[in-house]
Amino acid sequence: MTEASTSTRHEGHARHDRHAIALMGNPNTGKSSLFNALTGARQKIANFPGVTVEAKIGTTRFENSEFTIIDLPGTYSLAARSPDERVATDALLGRIEGTPKPDGVVIVLDASSLDRNLYIGTQVLEFGLPAVVALTMLDVAESRGIKIDTEKLSKTLGVPVVVVNAPKGKGIDELKGTLHRALHHPGKKLELSYPDDFKRGVDTLHAELLDLGVKLGFTPTRPEALRLLVDGAGPFFDECEEVGGEEWTRKFFEIRERAAAGRSLSMLEAQTRYGAIGQWMREVKQAEAREGRTRTDVVDGILTHKLWGSLVFIVVMGLIFQSIYSWSGPLMDTIDGGFGALGDWVGGMMGEGALKSLVVDGVIAGVGGVLIFLPQILILFLFIAILEDLGYMSRAAFLMDRLMSRFGLSGKAFIPLLSSFACNIPGIMGARVIEDRNTRLTTIFLAPFMSCSARLPVYTLFIAAFVPQIKLLGFLELQGLVLFAMYWVGVLFAIPTALVLKKGILKSKVTPFLLELPSYKMPRPKAVGRVLWERGGSFVRRAGTIILAVSVLVWAAGYFPRGAEIDDKHDAAIAAAEGAYSEAVVSFDPEADIESALAQFKAIDDAHEERTAGLEGEEPEVEAATAESDKQREAEIAELAAKHPAAFTDYENWLKLEEQRSEIENRRAGEHLENSILGRMGHVIEPAVEPLGWDWRIGMAAIASFPAREVIVATLGTIFNLGSEEDEESQTLREVVQNATRPDGSKLFSLATGLSIMVFFALCAQCAATLAVMRRETNSWKWPLASFAYMTGLAYVAALVTFQVAHALGG
Amino acid sequence: MSSQTLDKLPAGASGTVLDVGGEPALQQRLLEMGVLPGIEVKVVRFAPLGDPMEIKVMGYSLSLRKAEAAHVTVERA
Ligand SMILES: Nc1nc2c(ncn2[C@@H]2O[C@H](COP(=O)(O)OP(=O)(O)OP(=O)(O)O)[C@@H](O)[C@H]2O)c(=O)[nH]1
Ligand SMILES: [Mg+2]
Repeated sequence: MTEASTSTRHEGHARHDRHAIALMGNPNTGKSSLFNALTGARQKIANFPGVTVEAKIGTTRFENSEFTIIDLPGTYSLAARSPDERVATDALLGRIEGTPKPDGVVIVLDASSLDRNLYIGTQVLEFGLPAVVALTMLDVAESRGIKIDTEKLSKTLGVPVVVVNAPKGKGIDELKGTLHRALHHPGKKLELSYPDDFKRGVDTLHAELLDLGVKLGFTPTRPEALRLLVDGAGPFFDECEEVGGEEWTRKFFEIRERAAAGRSLSMLEAQTRYGAIGQWMREVKQAEAREGRTRTDVVDGILTHKLWGSLVFIVVMGLIFQSIYSWSGPLMDTIDGGFGALGDWVGGMMGEGALKSLVVDGVIAGVGGVLIFLPQILILFLFIAILEDLGYMSRAAFLMDRLMSRFGLSGKAFIPLLSSFACNIPGIMGARVIEDRNTRLTTIFLAPFMSCSARLPVYTLFIAAFVPQIKLLGFLELQGLVLFAMYWVGVLFAIPTALVLKKGILKSKVTPFLLELPSYKMPRPKAVGRVLWERGGSFVRRAGTIILAVSVLVWAAGYFPRGAEIDDKHDAAIAAAEGAYSEAVVSFDPEADIESALAQFKAIDDAHEERTAGLEGEEPEVEAATAESDKQREAEIAELAAKHPAAFTDYENWLKLEEQRSEIENRRAGEHLENSILGRMGHVIEPAVEPLGWDWRIGMAAIASFPAREVIVATLGTIFNLGSEEDEESQTLREVVQNATRPDGSKLFSLATGLSIMVFFALCAQCAATLAVMRRETNSWKWPLASFAYMTGLAYVAALVTFQVAHALGG
Repeated sequence: MSSQTLDKLPAGASGTVLDVGGEPALQQRLLEMGVLPGIEVKVVRFAPLGDPMEIKVMGYSLSLRKAEAAHVTVERA
């Protein structure tokens, strides 16, 4: 990879000037903010513990040195238990593939809870690596009245302390300079005064480990011996047991027992560390936090209140779904209109043929069909970004833990599941914060049940097409309500799935739920804006890559082969219709200007069409206006017909000809599609999708959307565009869907079909990227395969039941 | 004064930790997060469904289940 290649290049001449620096510290202390400020990277930042779950590398320069900065997950201690914590400790020891062993550390300490932050601080300092303390959140601490003497802190710890505020860009250069100096003049190792038995235990164990070192393949350090002694478990323990055998294990527990002398080793460790920290703090803290309620306490009083908290939760959720509809409308119409115009314009410029079809049917109808959903996706992400930045996620976990534990999960599983509503992939990654393996696997398995933003286009397309636009109780949009219901479909199926998994193969003990509730922070517009920019960008990129590719593939499969006999047959039919029309021309009145009379009839119809163009829906006003326009047209036509009876006959014949022509063209397009590769495959699968109320075109579109769910919108656009002859004015995808017919002329889609498609996509696992991440996070193909099979089966059955029930009820 | 377990403390009450027990992993995590003998804790509130609870310890807010808090013995202030 690129990192590796630059590293070898540098080793050639300026090796001593390249240093790897790890960012270590508690969760949510601002490590990633600092990382981004140092390296210009765009790591995710949010106000809850457990945002970063993997090691990330970036570079920055100071004078002649190049620093490789490693951003790590936050952890409260080096005694790692969850996979994300293990990443942090492994990285410190240089045991992560592709991540360099750190030459120095930046210990990131949150000034507003310095005591607890220093716990891992002491652990890291014991390693004796060159270190610099980056003190963050001093603004928060000061607002609470806490005053910290940074010079004294530096003197006590024996390492330099730099105050930083990464979101404001403060202290970054100073940190680099200090780091540079620290690397060349490292301070001394931190020595805490442990009880004698304890200290002796660590020394004895360290000696044993050094004996074992040859077989281990590395030289264990004293702090590692301490960890092993206290934790008495973990991967390092297993490793030692493997190479050392039974004999070693026996010795280990002997040493451990002697060191503990009846006490708890973790208690001894904690008391030693916090004892020292308490002493330091008495000197370093010039003022303690003021008594009384902080801003966070006040906000929490409402947001986690028994009554108000639940109320706010419901109102916020409702607001999100309502605004997805009401705010996005105008923007979507603009984009939609833009693509329509683009299609008309491009179509008008190009000659008939494969290339035009590729551009208009494949690219514009496919990719454009997906892109119009950008505003809705941005609105969803806007809300999620605000909630994340505010600090609400941990509160949501706090509120939901009880409920989650009924399903064998914990509040910690709630955060990854909640972020899965944005996208399942970070949700699955976020499950790394869960200590218990089985609970983590269950969470990973449940994540795809949460309706991610890729489902939004599918839902909104069919809701807009088939759910009437009416308001309930005067303010609740029915469409928004149906959307809300769609989000519940996944959740409702996730619950029994969780119960079955946790009662069966993934049983586990009750897992601890110790979660820090961070202080609320005002969402920063810049950060929220960046999330939107990035999410929007990635959506557009997907449209331009994967969705474009699938659209083109589907187009090609639906366009080829072109049967010449089909064209010949329909050309002949058109010729026949035109012949019949010319023969039927009756007007020979020399005084009547036939052309202009015809034009007048056309003008009347055009005017009628224009009047009714904007009218849609089933409201009485709309119907009245349509009827009014109809009456006007009848009257005008009748008046003109009385003046030019012959021209009227011709006009009627001409209308008939036009209709025949478009029918023939439609049939031609339809037959070409049926004859295409896609059509032939479609007929094979048709029996399987028929019970869902689908025809083969929907079935093929669904199958083709395996790479990503929103592809269905593109493939439907492409297939239906191919399968019907465009008249001069292109239809929006919603109209295409509303007007699509079966070969017998009946409407293809109904509310029942729409619901069945939505339910299918709420539950299916059609997302290659999600399955790939699942494979990576679980380290086996078993889970993604099981997930795909289970969810597809579930989606099929649920869609089937939905259609049959809705159909029986007359939908 | 009387000693009792942390989960029995009502919202708003505070106390000093006397002992932290429980299964080793839980005990260790509680200690690391600052819940250790001699430290003052304050119960802030219980979640709407009665569990978990929120406490203030070492100047920050920590959420834990009542079952976990039951392993922490405190002397009520
Ligand atoms: N007020 C204030 N907020 C800060 C400061 N530094 C970071 N933040 C905010 O603190 C929150 C957490 O920042 P992150 O950078 O995501 O923290 P992290 O340490 O990477 O967190 P994890 O990845 O969960 O370990 C965000 O809301 C930041 O905007 C600071 O110096 N002052
Ligand atoms: Mg981070």
